[in-house]
Amino acid sequence: MFAYVIRRVLATIPVMALVALFVFSLLYLAPGDPAAVIAGDQATPQDVERIRASLGLDRPYLVRFGSWVWGILNGDMGVSIFTNLPVTTMIAQRIEPTLSLMILTLILAVTIAVPMGVVAAWKQGTLIDRAVMGFAVLGFSVPVFVVGYLLAYVFALELDWLPVQGYTALSKGFLPWLENLVLPAVALGGVYIALIARITRATMLEVLQQDYIRTARAKGAGQGSILFLHALKNAAVPIVTVIGIGIALLIGGAVVTESVFAIPGLGRLTVDAILRRDYPVIQGVVLLFSFVYVLVNLIIDLAYTLFDPRIRY
Amino acid sequence: MRRRTVLQAAPAILAAPRIASAQGNARTLRFAPQGNLANIDPIWTTTTIARNHALMVYDTLFGLGRDFQPKPQMAAGYEVSADGLAHRITLRPGLTFHDGEKVTARDCIASIARWSKRDVLGQRLDALLQEMRATADGAFEIVLKKPWPGLAWALGKPSANLCAIMPERVAKTDPFQQITDYTGSGPFRFLAKDWVPGSVAAYERHGAYVARDEPADFLAGGKHVHFDRVEWRIMPDPATAAAALRNNEIDWWETPLADLLPVLRRNRDIAVEVVNTAGALGFLRFNHLHPPFDRPEIRRALFPAIEQTSFMQAALGEDPALWQVPAGAFTPGTPLANDAGLEVLSGPRDLEAARRALRAAGYDGRKVVLLVPSDFPTINGLSEVAADTMRKIGFNVDAQVMDWGTLVQRRAKKDPPEQGGWNVFCTTWEGLDVSVPGSHQPLRGNGPEGWFGWPTSPRREALREAWFSAPDQAAEKAIAAQLQRLVWEEAPFVPLGLLRPPMAYRRSLSGIVTGGPAIFWNVRRG
Repeated sequence: MFAYVIRRVLATIPVMALVALFVFSLLYLAPGDPAAVIAGDQATPQDVERIRASLGLDRPYLVRFGSWVWGILNGDMGVSIFTNLPVTTMIAQRIEPTLSLMILTLILAVTIAVPMGVVAAWKQGTLIDRAVMGFAVLGFSVPVFVVGYLLAYVFALELDWLPVQGYTALSKGFLPWLENLVLPAVALGGVYIALIARITRATMLEVLQQDYIRTARAKGAGQGSILFLHALKNAAVPIVTVIGIGIALLIGGAVVTESVFAIPGLGRLTVDAILRRDYPVIQGVVLLFSFVYVLVNLIIDLAYTLFDPRIRY
Repeated sequence: MRRRTVLQAAPAILAAPRIASAQGNARTLRFAPQGNLANIDPIWTTTTIARNHALMVYDTLFGLGRDFQPKPQMAAGYEVSADGLAHRITLRPGLTFHDGEKVTARDCIASIARWSKRDVLGQRLDALLQEMRATADGAFEIVLKKPWPGLAWALGKPSANLCAIMPERVAKTDPFQQITDYTGSGPFRFLAKDWVPGSVAAYERHGAYVARDEPADFLAGGKHVHFDRVEWRIMPDPATAAAALRNNEIDWWETPLADLLPVLRRNRDIAVEVVNTAGALGFLRFNHLHPPFDRPEIRRALFPAIEQTSFMQAALGEDPALWQVPAGAFTPGTPLANDAGLEVLSGPRDLEAARRALRAAGYDGRKVVLLVPSDFPTINGLSEVAADTMRKIGFNVDAQVMDWGTLVQRRAKKDPPEQGGWNVFCTTWEGLDVSVPGSHQPLRGNGPEGWFGWPTSPRREALREAWFSAPDQAAEKAIAAQLQRLVWEEAPFVPLGLLRPPMAYRRSLSGIVTGGPAIFWNVRRG
């Protein structure tokens, strides 16, 4: 097991190197010029040229790439072209809201979706099953921003229960933190709930047909015990896999959700950086997201052993 | 406890922190600015939002009043020698920077020197400058090689680049490098530790700031601050900003989307008002380096087809209070605006005449690349109407849609359109910038050294030069009229109308200073 973890961690190095090369090259080739954005509408082309030179953007591709990689290897992600702040500082400023949003969404989604899927499988073909599947289709079909606007309209503008936007740090109190995140987490969670509920239902339907379930019933095990102890545990591997894959959905969805609810997270930082062509920030954030995704996949792989003792590394 | 009781109490529990927070906000002004404050050096960048930040944090030697004339601000006295060469400025007593240090003549000289390397009027000063020297701790002299009556206007104009007074140590930063020390001289102190770019920028009242003992007069007069703290909350999504304003989560929204104005107007707690009366002038800019717009007769062919009202409606909606037409080369409502030859745009519109003029000019049907920004709703609206108008009279328009970040790179390319260049784009300029020839970049005719489009016009350059030496406003007006006639003849651009986008704020605010951008002195709650 330990050797496996080490092998997997080492395997992330070439993956991250490829991601770095890909992101840097893509940005190099993409149109847009941060110097022109900085200079503003009223600057002359000469001003833009001088700013470009002062930022080192006129250096050859290999020199810029080499300098960036050397910085990364030394723990320095560079400095934002626009704010003059270190990229690590900007990421640190933004990581808490995104992490909070993702964790809350994850908790919300798993808590709702897994029981929903289990019940739908148990009551297959009934109204409950159809309702769950209908909700799942809706969750997949309605864009996050539409759900966000609807929630804000109802719960903030009409009922005045929750704020429309913003983020309050957890250090300022649990309730203020929660009230800012409830609507975004529900909006972002919709598609995630749908995904997990569907896969849970499908896997549970398969597991519930197995012989050992019939045996459990014959032994007189209760319905709850059959569903959640016997069946769900055996259905867990694909569900956990989907939860892991869904992290990518959350990262993508956070970009939209953070914009709609004006949450100062990494998603918005990414969008702002892309719109301004703030290369060091884009590179830093994409690298971080890639690392998180690789790490989550590793954790998911390791989690398989908890649910299925037959799996050994 | 009964289940129903718990359910009934839940909203109150959720709302409790919000009520407490609202009570704590009484001394904080919450403002949603037009965009993200990404960089904060008003000399390094010409972005409007950096200038707006600078108006809070830095004071200026002069400030424009509502009549757009310069008045002493940090300056207590101002004298010009009889030959017009020596400009002597004495500072008001008691002026301090945010670190408590006294503002001295040395700080002002260093600040002017840095500004003069970047600003278009500053560069004029740089060219004319004989010397700047401190005559006392709180007085200095600017000696020119030839008279320039407009120097005080240049030092006090709010348009980018603002001549912000910084401590000498900060002002010595290379003008092409960003400052890292945010110590200012203005009525607000920038709270760098609270700054999260893309989310929030916070300012607190500079307690030691000595305001002039006068009522506020746009950028002149007393800058009396009535809030302890001002927070700029960046909201990229207009619908969210509108909802936040309605829900009393912000007090003031700088750039409400035209589509959302009816919703805001229906709310009795919200006022929708034109604060920036100088607005922004819309332009259609030609690339003079490549066919077909390298020929004036082809550029002029567009004039009979230009319906300024259509451009304004596409940008800001049908409420005529939010825009002004006809608009000539200079910002309507400012002293140099005039109607010389304005019938070119204000007379009856005639598409057939435009088609005839285009045919007569020998347009060969070649593709015309129009750059269209997708993420600037106002300019996007102008560009859509431009594309339609040009197609109607026979141009073969290739409207290429892109984000603003790509557009600003693309328009800097001097290559032919088929090799990644361009032919035409629409934009807007701050009304105060294009209210005088000196800072009116689209009007210039300095060729490849000039603003995007690169027209060459010795006659316009000569008139601009004459404006700098104009002894009085009557002479300035005469020059402005000549320049406007030249615009109709040489067509370096097409004016599309004056946009006056409104701002929206909660009626609990009063004393908002009108005339230009959002400024935060004089405004109070209640």
